[in-house]
Amino acid sequence: MITVEHLSKVYGTEKAVADLSFTLEAGTSTALIGPNGAGKTTALSMLTGLLKPTNGSVRMENVQDIRREIGFLPQYPHFYPWLTALEFTEMAAKLNGVPSRHAKKQAESVLDFVGLKNDKFKKTAAFSGGMKQRLGIAQAIVHKPKLLVLDEPVSALDPVGRREMMILLKQLQQQSTILYSTHILNDAEEMTGQLLFLQKGRLVEQGSLKDIRAKFDSFRYKVQFSSKGEALHFASQSPWPTAVEDCDVFIEINENVPTMQQLMSQLIGLPFSIEKVERVTMTLEEIFMKVVGQ
Amino acid sequence: MRTFTILLQKEFRESWRSFKFLWMPLLFIFLGISDPLTNYYMEDILNAVGNLPEGFSVTLPEYAPIDILKASTGQFQSLGLIVLVITVAGMINRERQSGTATLIYVRPISFMALFMSKWTAASALGMISAILGYAGSLYYTSILYGSVKFIVFMEMVMSYCVWILFASAVALMFSAMFKTALATACTIIALPVAIMIESLIGQYWHISPWKLADYSVQLIAETNNEYYLKTLLLTIILTVLAIILGILFTRKNAAATKI
Repeated sequence: MITVEHLSKVYGTEKAVADLSFTLEAGTSTALIGPNGAGKTTALSMLTGLLKPTNGSVRMENVQDIRREIGFLPQYPHFYPWLTALEFTEMAAKLNGVPSRHAKKQAESVLDFVGLKNDKFKKTAAFSGGMKQRLGIAQAIVHKPKLLVLDEPVSALDPVGRREMMILLKQLQQQSTILYSTHILNDAEEMTGQLLFLQKGRLVEQGSLKDIRAKFDSFRYKVQFSSKGEALHFASQSPWPTAVEDCDVFIEINENVPTMQQLMSQLIGLPFSIEKVERVTMTLEEIFMKVVGQ
Repeated sequence: MRTFTILLQKEFRESWRSFKFLWMPLLFIFLGISDPLTNYYMEDILNAVGNLPEGFSVTLPEYAPIDILKASTGQFQSLGLIVLVITVAGMINRERQSGTATLIYVRPISFMALFMSKWTAASALGMISAILGYAGSLYYTSILYGSVKFIVFMEMVMSYCVWILFASAVALMFSAMFKTALATACTIIALPVAIMIESLIGQYWHISPWKLADYSVQLIAETNNEYYLKTLLLTIILTVLAIILGILFTRKNAAATKI
């Protein structure tokens, strides 16, 4: 278990991170979510030991030197261009205390895992963004860390690279405790157990995706008409609060009203063609906007 | 010690693959052989160039081996030193600015091992270059001007290597302290410019690391210089001080690495 207590970083009078406290259970995956400038990278830098906190502490159960047990992938990993992928990964393993006789084997194994088996003898100068990100993962996991810290692991990638990286991260979820920052909320929704919402350096909400949904989600019906005119007409005559977006009408559910039955009976009498009726939940992005009060 | 060895291996690999171990010694060899050759063949060179006025004659001084080695040292102390220290002055800060240091700093390394690995690699590069440069100078000096006692020559080279150790430590210390442009400026002021100042007004004091190269060449003459040992000792003390400061600043500025 990793415990972060009252972690703060102050630059002059500006608090980049203020009183950040949370725990990471072993084998879980946690997303640190926040807009650009929320303090995510500063928080991760303190966790990895790159940045000295103004206050607070990071503790890992039964671990003296926390840096030995952390694997870190920065948002834009930079490698020595004159080293090959294998040389860099092997060096990373050795620096993390892996015995020399095992370092090369372990480096080759993780390079295979991230899909760089055929590129391990290439110098990193020739690597694309996606390959660098894969190599970044490889150097972060080569010493089998207890905690994997990833700073915006997919935000700099194209859609194909992003998808490949998400698959890789899901595989890693089975091996390590993962803490990663992101502002792409779909990613967090896809692979996260716990969410930490950060805004202006402060933790404004935390909990499991399920708990946060239960607390902030609001349920709605979405009725899709074949034209915007029909949608507007229905909305103007609806007995419940509605919102119109193109051909869709959203109806808020308050205290289980209206029920699906009530809605259907209202729709049946209409002379319009209805494309679809469904009960929808908020996206994580909508929840986030609600949490941060925007 | 293990971290130091791993990081030193990385530094040597970089120097090797970026051809520093080729062009830096070549530069020093070129500087080392240029003085004995140009001085010896100066008359021939002038005649070959031609266009000399009718009746023009030039009387060139008779050079002793020590004069030639002094001239070679002067070359190393100007162009050679500038190239060397500019290379060293970017070794730490450039890695911080590019972000390559990030993936090193997040690991359980000691900043002493990090600094010492860079200093060792930089010093080795400088010393190998200087030794080869002096070897080139000695070769032509012996052929064209007369021989020099090998033991005394080695004393001179070793003594000059202490200066290289000092120069590398100072350049690396500034690299740990400041960003590349400022570090380079400070290094040039503290080393090549300081040598020029020393040559202009240095007669007012006798003990200074910036005099070590001159005192080293004087070893060839086998005259007793009462200030030599004190200068050598002061240079070593200041080298240690620069290393300590460099380590402290490497640690202090680690958070400045680009993430």
